Amino acid sequence: MNEIDRHLAAIAAQMDLDVETEHEILDEVRDHLETAAEQARAEGLDEAQALARAAAHFGPDEEVGRALQAAHAGWGTADAVVAAALPVICALVLRWLAFAPDGTALGWPQLLARPSFWIVALAALLVPLLRFERWRYALAAWVFFWALTVLFVTLPAQRW
Amino acid sequence: MGIREQMRKGTTTVILLNLLAEMERPMYGYEIIQELEARSQGYFQFKEGLIYPRLHELERQGLLRAEWRGEEGSRRRKFYTITEAGCHRLERELQGWRSFTRHVDDLLGVERPS
Repeated sequence: MNEIDRHLAAIAAQMDLDVETEHEILDEVRDHLETAAEQARAEGLDEAQALARAAAHFGPDEEVGRALQAAHAGWGTADAVVAAALPVICALVLRWLAFAPDGTALGWPQLLARPSFWIVALAALLVPLLRFERWRYALAAWVFFWALTVLFVTLPAQRW
Repeated sequence: MGIREQMRKGTTTVILLNLLAEMERPMYGYEIIQELEARSQGYFQFKEGLIYPRLHELERQGLLRAEWRGEEGSRRRKFYTITEAGCHRLERELQGWRSFTRHVDDLLGVERPS
């Protein structure tokens, strides 16, 4: 492990975020430290001095790590809760839409003719995009939603 | 914490937004810090790492847009650009700052150039 990796590990130790976010943050910090060290070497410092100066100017790893955690805190949790809840809510609404009170399932033509069906479908796609700006959650919600749709339609005798 | 440090902390948002608005091009973190230190002629000393949490907050608020450039596996760099919402926020912040400094000047009896 080189000097920069040690700083990154110390910063990472202060964070408890999703893997992708942490990866991006540490990539950005690595770029900063490498660029600062390059600048210092260009000014005549040796490798060790350059890294030491870059790290000193960057600030204490623990303080920076805590500040980064605070800047992103709540993001992962809120994402997870909404991302988990949204497909479930959509599925429950879909079940209400797809089944008549006597338990018989609607066919595709009747289902697709219902505006409320399209509202639910759009919500499943658009709400995550607006909330997270993260397409993976939107895609996951969308796939889950449509998988349940197919399940309802192809297995009309299914009872929950 | 001295007044200089307090004021710097309280004005970081408007300083970052203003810089990116003036530069009119995407900038990466290290470049932003270097430019700010050059502009302040060393008056403000930044703990460089603490700029990133603020940049990320502004990005999350939609005031900055971030974009990664470079290939995976080689040097990748994150560039920031001010958004339309960031420009509006900057305008409000600058108005607030001018009003604040004018009133503080009045309280302190500082004469302003006419």
